[in-house]
Amino acid sequence: MEVKNLETRFKVRSGYVYAVNGVSFSLGKAEMLGVVGESGCGKSVTMMSLIKLLPPAAQITNGSVKLDGVELTKLSKKDLNAVRGSKVGMIFQDPMTSLNPFLKIGLQLSEGLVYHKGMSMADALKRSAAYLDMVGISNSAHRLNEYPHQLSGGMRQRVMIAMALLSEPGLVIADEPTTALDVTIQAQIVELVKELRKELNTSIIWITHDLSLLAGMVDRIMVMYGGAIVEEAVRGEIYKDPRHPYTIGLLNSIPRLSADTGKRLSTIGGAPPNLFMKPTGCPFAPRCRFRMDRCEKELPVLETVPGAAPDSGHRIACWADVRDNK
Amino acid sequence: MATKERKYSLTKDAFNRLIANKLAMIGLIVVALLILIALIGPFITPYDFLSQDLMSRNQPPTSLHWFGTDDLGRDVLSRVIYGARTAVLVAFSVTILSFIIGTVLGSLAGYLGGKFDSFVSWLIDITMSIPSLLLVIVINVSLKPTLVNWMDAQFMATHDEFWRNTIWVDFAIVFGSLALIKWPKAARIIRGQILSIRNKNYVMAAKAIGVPTSRILTAYVIPNAIGPIIVSFSATLGEAMVLESSFSFLGVGVRPPIPSWGNMISDGLRVWQLYPHVLAAPALVLAIATIAFSFLGDGLNDALNPRQWK
Repeated sequence: MEVKNLETRFKVRSGYVYAVNGVSFSLGKAEMLGVVGESGCGKSVTMMSLIKLLPPAAQITNGSVKLDGVELTKLSKKDLNAVRGSKVGMIFQDPMTSLNPFLKIGLQLSEGLVYHKGMSMADALKRSAAYLDMVGISNSAHRLNEYPHQLSGGMRQRVMIAMALLSEPGLVIADEPTTALDVTIQAQIVELVKELRKELNTSIIWITHDLSLLAGMVDRIMVMYGGAIVEEAVRGEIYKDPRHPYTIGLLNSIPRLSADTGKRLSTIGGAPPNLFMKPTGCPFAPRCRFRMDRCEKELPVLETVPGAAPDSGHRIACWADVRDNK
Repeated sequence: MATKERKYSLTKDAFNRLIANKLAMIGLIVVALLILIALIGPFITPYDFLSQDLMSRNQPPTSLHWFGTDDLGRDVLSRVIYGARTAVLVAFSVTILSFIIGTVLGSLAGYLGGKFDSFVSWLIDITMSIPSLLLVIVINVSLKPTLVNWMDAQFMATHDEFWRNTIWVDFAIVFGSLALIKWPKAARIIRGQILSIRNKNYVMAAKAIGVPTSRILTAYVIPNAIGPIIVSFSATLGEAMVLESSFSFLGVGVRPPIPSWGNMISDGLRVWQLYPHVLAAPALVLAIATIAFSFLGDGLNDALNPRQWK
């Protein structure tokens, strides 16, 4: 998958909200990418734009999304449906509301298979049961006949994962799949996704606001702010040698067991920018400790970090060098 | 497993809740009875609703005339039964008509949004802002005589029996004018339902696995929207029935000699101090029917409202 210079905006009463401003990245086969950022930084909208799963007010104004050489932004509605049904899977944030309360689990799971893989209902149900087994739901044949309200939140999220994987897509986008779950279930779901990934060999984009969650899981991490990528590198590099002030702020705000008791958790002051105008300078500048005059005037570009390890793919969008005054 | 598991189904659950609700069951039984009586009316009336017996006018209820007779010696029971036919016919026609208009406009407005939605919302607001009593009276008073006169002229010209019968014109204008004041409510409910469900996560999830739009509408949007629509349908049935009686009472609805509870009440009102039974029979039946519809509507609301599920 190859994304180039993607831009998405929302039409609102008083103009536009520029949610995604020139995002470019690529994703290799079977690679797992973590996307981090606080609420409203454009991480979800970016990933939803990939398969155009956007509300009517949103429009993609620029950029290209290529999946296996096919340009997704220009596909017809029908072809796009086929891609959604067979090549890209989606796991949503809130399992409690992501299943139609009037359809039995089995019917809902089979839907994509019947429409896009040309399977018969019986075959689709059989396969659904197999996938429910795989995501760790016991008594799966029986569960197919149940309604969503008969399942717990954790089970529903497992069903959603099965739904995303059923068509054996090359890419799965997981939009904060553990945010609505409690910590123990969260850990189970993370383990499950790790296992399934090994088994099925799919690429995964995992969207989250919790940097610590990604620590043992992904290959590469992308940090987003103000609708743009501000830092990107292989996983270890981000934790060892973060270069963007925002990434450093995020890392410092993770609570640690080893921290001194009585010490306040460090936070990033201020709030994310409103995006009613396209940022002309660095969107993070107003909250940044390392701010310089240049930051407010010029939009930083994503460039390879000088002196970074050769295969780390470490890129940042920042004018300052944080090593100067850490 | 030895124990048999309880089968769940949402419609069955809703039905069980409806059964458990005593008032709703009373409502359901009365409404069913009313519809049954309306259907088989001509077979169970003891007398013809038009035949007059001037020797036995204004008789109190007896074993021959259970509800007595009116000032032309007509059997009140037979007229009440025929009145039920009128009431049920008007109630269903008006409700179905207004829900057809409401569904088409409301669902298109909700689904398409944009300019069409603004236009439909504007139309709804305009229609709702006109006093309904006035609107119906104006339509009936202005259209009915014109149409009937025109049909008389046609009959004079062609001598075709078709133009002779003006009763259905009466009904058609009553249906039309009542539907005209009832459709905005239906459209508004349906539009709201479609709007809220269109943005639900499960619709998004279905889109994400490539379910086609037509299937999303039929399997995801409509079943989730249907509860409030059924409730409002049942409420509209009762309201249309009362409206028909009100307008017939005022003389702008169904006109004599076709019996309607409304015009019977109007007749009874003139003599109620001397012969209260002529007024009491249609008034009581109308009251019972209205209460039954309201019980049924409340019961359906409780049964279909997911927030009240236990």
